[in-house]
Amino acid sequence: MTTEIATEANTTSPETDSDIVIETRNLGKVYRDFWGRKKVAALKALDIQVRRGEIFGLLGPNGSGKSTTIKLIQGLIFPTSGHAYVFGKDARDVTKNERIGYLPEESYLYKFLNAEETLDFYGRLFDMPAEVRRERADKLIRMVGLHGARRRQLKEYSKGMTRRIGLAQALINEPDLLILDEPTTGMDPIGSREMKDLIVRLRDEGKTILMCSHQLADVQDVCDRVAILHLGELRELGRVDELLKVRDVTEVHAKGFSEELKQKIAEFIKNEGGDVISIDNPTTTMEELFLEIVQEDRPGARPSSAKPN
Amino acid sequence: MWGYFEWLIFRFGLLQGIAVAAAIALLGFLGCYVVALARYGPGEGFYRVTKVIYELIARDLPGTSWRRIHALARLAFQEAIRRRVLVVMAVFIVGLLFAGWFLDPSSNNIARLYISFVMTGTSYLVLLLGLFLSCFSLPADIKNRTIQTIATKPVRPTEVVLGRIFGFTAVGTMLLVVMGVLSYIFVVRGIVHEHGVRDIASDGMSGTTTYDSAHSHTFEMIEDEDGVVRRGTTDEQKSHRHVITVTEVDGEKRYTVGPPEGLLAARIPIYGKLQMTDRAGKLGGGLNVGYESEYQKYIEGNSLMKAIWTFEDIGPERFGDGAVLPIEMSLKAFRTFKGDIVTGVQGEIVLKSPDGRVESDRIGFIVKEYQLDHREIPRKLQGAVDGVPREIDIWDDIVQDGKIQIEVRCIDPGQYLGMAPADLYLRAGDSTFAWNMFKGFLGIWMQMVLIICLGVMFSTFLSGPVAMVATLTCLVLGFFGNLALDVATGEAPGGGPIESLIRIPLQTGAMVDLDLGNPVLETTIKMVDRGIMWVLVSLFQAIPSFGQFNTSDFVAYGFNIYGGLIARHLTMTLSYFVLTSLIGYFFLKTRELAAA
Ligand SMILES: Nc1ncnc2c1ncn2[C@@H]1O[C@H](COP(=O)(O)OP(=O)(O)O)[C@@H](O)[C@H]1O
Ligand SMILES: [Mg+2]
Repeated sequence: MTTEIATEANTTSPETDSDIVIETRNLGKVYRDFWGRKKVAALKALDIQVRRGEIFGLLGPNGSGKSTTIKLIQGLIFPTSGHAYVFGKDARDVTKNERIGYLPEESYLYKFLNAEETLDFYGRLFDMPAEVRRERADKLIRMVGLHGARRRQLKEYSKGMTRRIGLAQALINEPDLLILDEPTTGMDPIGSREMKDLIVRLRDEGKTILMCSHQLADVQDVCDRVAILHLGELRELGRVDELLKVRDVTEVHAKGFSEELKQKIAEFIKNEGGDVISIDNPTTTMEELFLEIVQEDRPGARPSSAKPN
Repeated sequence: MWGYFEWLIFRFGLLQGIAVAAAIALLGFLGCYVVALARYGPGEGFYRVTKVIYELIARDLPGTSWRRIHALARLAFQEAIRRRVLVVMAVFIVGLLFAGWFLDPSSNNIARLYISFVMTGTSYLVLLLGLFLSCFSLPADIKNRTIQTIATKPVRPTEVVLGRIFGFTAVGTMLLVVMGVLSYIFVVRGIVHEHGVRDIASDGMSGTTTYDSAHSHTFEMIEDEDGVVRRGTTDEQKSHRHVITVTEVDGEKRYTVGPPEGLLAARIPIYGKLQMTDRAGKLGGGLNVGYESEYQKYIEGNSLMKAIWTFEDIGPERFGDGAVLPIEMSLKAFRTFKGDIVTGVQGEIVLKSPDGRVESDRIGFIVKEYQLDHREIPRKLQGAVDGVPREIDIWDDIVQDGKIQIEVRCIDPGQYLGMAPADLYLRAGDSTFAWNMFKGFLGIWMQMVLIICLGVMFSTFLSGPVAMVATLTCLVLGFFGNLALDVATGEAPGGGPIESLIRIPLQTGAMVDLDLGNPVLETTIKMVDRGIMWVLVSLFQAIPSFGQFNTSDFVAYGFNIYGGLIARHLTMTLSYFVLTSLIGYFFLKTRELAAA
């Protein structure tokens, strides 16, 4: 018992390395029902570190424990084992929230407020004076492309618009750390692309980003490092380019090949002791194809000025 | 009736108050500790509770910001408006519009009827509203998960609790203000009625009014010092009089009946201590006639029994110029034979100095049942000093050290006069009705705040419907709380829970001492009972006694709600506000807000 008290009392991470923004140690969560019976072991012994200025992705199928991790890190739920630290503070310390922006799984906002009122309200929660709130709300509404809908109640918003105002809300305090739970769900490909561009831009401005997603493309496109979760367990952790590199396969990109030349090359590789897997014309991803078509249709349409749907 | 500071010191503040507060804090701490113990084991549990208390004092209270509280309160306000609380207002207005159908205009005291109606209506509506708003708001936020967006901002649990309490209080206050103004207009306009003059005696000095609003008056005119008749008053009917004025138009006298007076009063009474003598003339008498509640006692006619009121801190300065001593009484007659019903039961009043040496002559009266008898005793009157008759002065001779005694006796043999301490009082003047009504609404406001505090507190750890049931339970217990306290403090006969359980099969009356033939057993039972009762008392004292906050009867019966009472209620409201906020904080701090 005494040892447990000793660790509890230790609310700040001993790791004062200021380059580590989020750290989890042996973090685990078992959901229990009303009677205290064990229901789901949603997360098991997670150890990750998120460093300053990177985009860290949590990747995994539905129900793999991504949201659970994010809620634990924010102190919305309490771990059944281990600890989570943010900026060196315990996850349950509310003062850490001063520097965090959070976009929940679905934007849990008050539907009877309009965009301006929403941003003003959350600005007040950061104890921001009126002019600062007004100025930032204005800037953010333009940034997420909701200028035309700023006076409409959120209950009239589409899913994509709700995501945008949710993001704006997360940025109202100009946070150092942005935590995004499935930022692109419910968005059309353009919106999704804009969101990803924005995430990268925010990283380039020096913010640290923790996001989770079950969409491989999202993570692949924007994340610097990923942790892959499955059934609450950490399966893989590392740089995206490293993880995706298939080490024993070589890719050649060339143009203007005839069928004869292809055959010749295949023979050449075989003679040299290599293995030809296929020689073919490349396909693009569906997302890329779709984007190409849509963006050709609307020349000059810049992502940030795209009208909301 | 206690003044505020007396009450604060003796009742609430220094002694009992500190004990109660400490008991509640201890109970709260124990409760939290038990919960934590069950969850985390003894050492860890103790550590966690202590840590929450430390965090409150060291971090969350200093970190609490008015801007955040304001933001959350505003949100609660907007949410309430969005939930169409204004419907409540509509219900109220419709109620007022149709009130005429079921409020009997021929009632004996129409003002009382109207005031009771609007104040009861207002409190039901506002209290129900407070109950619903406060119990369902936080659980809804947790269920919709909107709380997650809030809790991931630097919002302290204190702010979540206070924001809700303030926001809902603001909604309720807004409604109460509007309802109060409408109520005032409704009452003032409702009592207005006009009379014409039906006939006038040949000398022009008396007459009767026309019959309107189910009554008519007779009136008498008064000659002024210069011999001209300008005004007069009617008799009292249905608790009011009218002033009659005479004007001369073209040589013709015209009588006009003014508006009703005395219906909307706010009397400032000075109450005294009541003692009674028995048939032998010794103190400590007073009879029960069987069906009355215990606070009304009777004295027998034509016997040595008398009722003696002692008033303190009396002086001419408390009664205007002190030319008269105004007394008001509403005594009850109990007839053992139905004799002379027309003249009614007769009694007499004697003013006495506290040492008994100076006393006035007897002042006879006839009991006006169910009506307030107002009489003004002139400063100089006939009496006796040490048995020697002479003219005496109330202030110079009778009142000694600010004390005066008023004795009441019943004259008719075989008849009884019934009275409670508040049934005879000195009327020190009047406050204004509007101000009194405001204070009555302040009482409703405080009840509303209490309910909101309780509702918000329960909603921090219970679901909406359960929180509502819990709040309602507190309310009901609060209304009957005094009864339970009487049992607990041994004022009600029959003993504690175990003793009463034993009494049932033994069929011993509650007034008989328990006799089991085993003194050790009896003592043990009494001790255990006392222990159980101590816990019950602590719990009950933690529940506000709502009944006590209802001051609308003061307004309806035309008595000023004195400042001490309001101050007392405000202090209690404040205490409960602090207490419920703390408990709410504790639960919010220790619960997972995203577990739903
Ligand atoms: N409040 C809860 N109570 C019980 N089980 C839960 C709760 N929240 C999540 N779970 C379970 O925990 C597991 C992980 O959930 P979650 O973290 O939401 O997954 P993801 O975000 O990766 O889709 C799932 O099996 C889910 O059903
Ligand atoms: Mg999820």
